[in-house]
Amino acid sequence: MTTLSIVALTVAVWGQRLLGGFVVGPVLARRPAMAQVLGLVPAAVVMAVIVQLSVADGRSLVLDERLAGMLVAGVLVWRRAPFLAVVLAAALTTAGLRAI
Amino acid sequence: MTDDQPRHGRADSAALALTFFSLGITLQVLLIDRGASLWNALAASTVIWSATSQFSYLAVRDAGGGDWAAIIAGAVVATRFGILATSLVPRLPAGAFRRALASVNAFDPNVAIAVQQADERCVEREFWRVTAAMMGGWFPGIVVGTFIGNVVGDIGRLGLDAVFPAALLSIIAGLLRTREGFAAGLAGACICLALIPIAPPGVPIILSVFGVGAGAVYAKRHIGVGP
Repeated sequence: MTTLSIVALTVAVWGQRLLGGFVVGPVLARRPAMAQVLGLVPAAVVMAVIVQLSVADGRSLVLDERLAGMLVAGVLVWRRAPFLAVVLAAALTTAGLRAI
Repeated sequence: MTDDQPRHGRADSAALALTFFSLGITLQVLLIDRGASLWNALAASTVIWSATSQFSYLAVRDAGGGDWAAIIAGAVVATRFGILATSLVPRLPAGAFRRALASVNAFDPNVAIAVQQADERCVEREFWRVTAAMMGGWFPGIVVGTFIGNVVGDIGRLGLDAVFPAALLSIIAGLLRTREGFAAGLAGACICLALIPIAPPGVPIILSVFGVGAGAVYAKRHIGVGP
């Protein structure tokens, strides 16, 4: 990672945690509706990161072994499997299909 | 809020430490594979304190995005930690320094256990117990990952590129189980899918934040709360 990116991400990550705890938190305590909407941000953004990591190759969409691994992970998450089982199954599925 | 007070037992701590150990290894192997030096990889994963931001940064760079696009994408996904801190900090004992120290360590597992404590005196203690388990896995993991990075070879052959998206899915599973969370997640995924072929790298992740609109509309229509 570039030095710029390490510094900038450190500021962004630490800063947002402090901002959340000390500035946004007290405001949200009085505004439950806003708190609820803000609480949905991670669902939207993290799903986008998952899409980027599992079906994108550069700027094109590709359906490959990663997607199969993610589908297996999705079923296991839905069935409330433990974290390590989900991660291992995704890696093994992806690696296994590539080995064929 | 439930009346029972969930505690983090030894087995939970061990599983969590193992989880963060494996995530740390995966991230470092990926960083080394992308050409990072040993010290660069170690420094990045020690100070940034958000694997999600690092993986998002790498994903945008892999897609051909510039440094700033990747940084902004990494910053946008870190909103998750800011939001976690909003629910943690009001439950902590007074004292700006103690609160600040806890808030910069806000992750999903430690905040989840801490805010479930009905007894206010237990919130801070349980938070740090879970945090200790995470750190106990993470730091050895990034050290091991950094030094085996060069010998692992092809990360694709081991399926390591599937580890982090699967881990993220598991982390936000609780949110996706609520209908408004599912609506927001689905919308965020669709926005990203639609924009990847047409928008510059990084932009699909940044704009996915508008997926909350779908969740908010759902919450307003069906639950009766919302803006």
